[in-house]
Amino acid sequence: MWTETWLFTKRSLVTTIRNPFSFIPNLIISVFFLLVYTSGLSSIASLPQFDGSAYLNFILPVSIVSGAVGGAGGTGQALVRDIESGYFARLLLTPATRTAIVLGPMIAGMLQLFVQTLLIFAVAFMLGLDIPVGLPGFLFTVLLALGFGLGFAGYSVGVALKTRNAQAAQAGTLLFFPLIFLSTTFVPKELIEAEWLKVAATLNPTTYIFEGMRAVLTQPTIDWGALSAGLAVAGAMSVIMVVFAATNARGALKQK
Amino acid sequence: MIEVETLVKTYEDVPAVDGVSFSVDEGEIFAFLGPNGAGKSTMVQMLTTLVRPTAGSARVNGYDVVKQEKEVRLSIGVALQETGIDKVLTGRELLVLQGRLFKMTKQEAEQRAEELLRVVSLTDAADRRSGTYSGGMRRRLDLALTLVHRPTVLFLDEPTTGLDPASRIEIWNEVRRLNREFGTTIFLTTQYLEEADELADRIAIIHHGKLISEGTAEELKRLVGGETIAMTFHNDEEAATAARLFGHAATGANVTFELRDYTLMEVIRLLDDRALQPERLTVKQPSLDDVFLKVTGESYEGGVPNVD
Repeated sequence: MWTETWLFTKRSLVTTIRNPFSFIPNLIISVFFLLVYTSGLSSIASLPQFDGSAYLNFILPVSIVSGAVGGAGGTGQALVRDIESGYFARLLLTPATRTAIVLGPMIAGMLQLFVQTLLIFAVAFMLGLDIPVGLPGFLFTVLLALGFGLGFAGYSVGVALKTRNAQAAQAGTLLFFPLIFLSTTFVPKELIEAEWLKVAATLNPTTYIFEGMRAVLTQPTIDWGALSAGLAVAGAMSVIMVVFAATNARGALKQK
Repeated sequence: MIEVETLVKTYEDVPAVDGVSFSVDEGEIFAFLGPNGAGKSTMVQMLTTLVRPTAGSARVNGYDVVKQEKEVRLSIGVALQETGIDKVLTGRELLVLQGRLFKMTKQEAEQRAEELLRVVSLTDAADRRSGTYSGGMRRRLDLALTLVHRPTVLFLDEPTTGLDPASRIEIWNEVRRLNREFGTTIFLTTQYLEEADELADRIAIIHHGKLISEGTAEELKRLVGGETIAMTFHNDEEAATAARLFGHAATGANVTFELRDYTLMEVIRLLDDRALQPERLTVKQPSLDDVFLKVTGESYEGGVPNVD
């Protein structure tokens, strides 16, 4: 099973690299977010609710998570392409387990996210990013991005397998907007005015990822409570979504 | 090799396959013949573990297609109606990956890929992305992918649908060769009467999900009747005389009847004795078209090979 998973991962990486347009636009959008928000909004970080953190540190998680969500959505679309080309059926006819067939592309998607997160960090460092707690801040942020990315990759794979339709898989990524923006995206929760948005932000799992990242990026000491909440949400999401994806793998070849 | 017992598959209460039983012996080429929508692909999907039967049972290579999916998959090769090829990978990459998924080591898989590329004459195109291949090349690569693990039973779902005549004959030759040289048992579906007639040791006619008739091409044709002889004489008079000889009536200068009471040799000898010389004489075998019409009561549609 692990050999198979690795074979599928490698194959997905090759396909991704040969299709640069499957990841470049998404990466550009993330970096664009980072530049625009930092340049346009950085003065609001002087508000007391920001606890003296730089706005760059505060907004960096938004750029990373939006990159993760967008990149993970591509995993589902790659799978839809396989289903449409008939290659997916050929894979189902090998003795490889269903889990390996869906896990491979998801791991490849994670590796892609990893590289992408490093690139976003590189841009942030060029903009003058300074992480008060140092290396652990960087590592935990990457870990959270990967966990959440895996969860979202599982979601997009599951939708792709369920609908077997590129448009539907694309529509699935519409979830991107509520996930990213109905949250503590631009300001801490205390500064959100509308009550409904506060409720939405509390229910939105992304909020816990943002808060987890900020727990290690913005403060002089790590806020372990917020970090563990973030890690727990990321972990739970990936497990649930991988199971969702794997259970849909079998139904993926019913007669049209 | 393949044993199917009252297999049923319904989709939303509509039966696609409706209680079909048959068996295929080792080394046989068995054709499932029927028009579009007869249930052929559903049968292949059930026998190859892609779709679970609603009822009934089937064993392939002695393994139950529901309870022993993995064993079934290891022992069979499947080429579905639509080729299953990732356009971004090269022919060689696809073959090596396929070998690895069937538990070969890297070296074995590479060696097998090289071998198969030669067999299907794709050595020159091996390192090009398969997206650049022509339809015929893709079909050949697909067949090679099916053969990587040397399966003992091969399932081919409409292997030549949409191919031009030259590529069709190429595939036929390949199928015959596999069967002859390696004793591979082959289950194929087709909507072409000609293909079933040409390739199969035994043919099952499937219609609206039911198996209507089964046997060798000869046996099926015998259902319709024997060969027909048709003769044209120089004038009506001669024709009438000739027809009387065999207990039939002539239509103008033509005499046509089924070769049942006389063999062809006897007919010729009797004519010769009377110094009757037909201008033209043809013997026609009943075609599978006639068989289909006879057993289903409908004329065969969709049997003309076309490129779609």
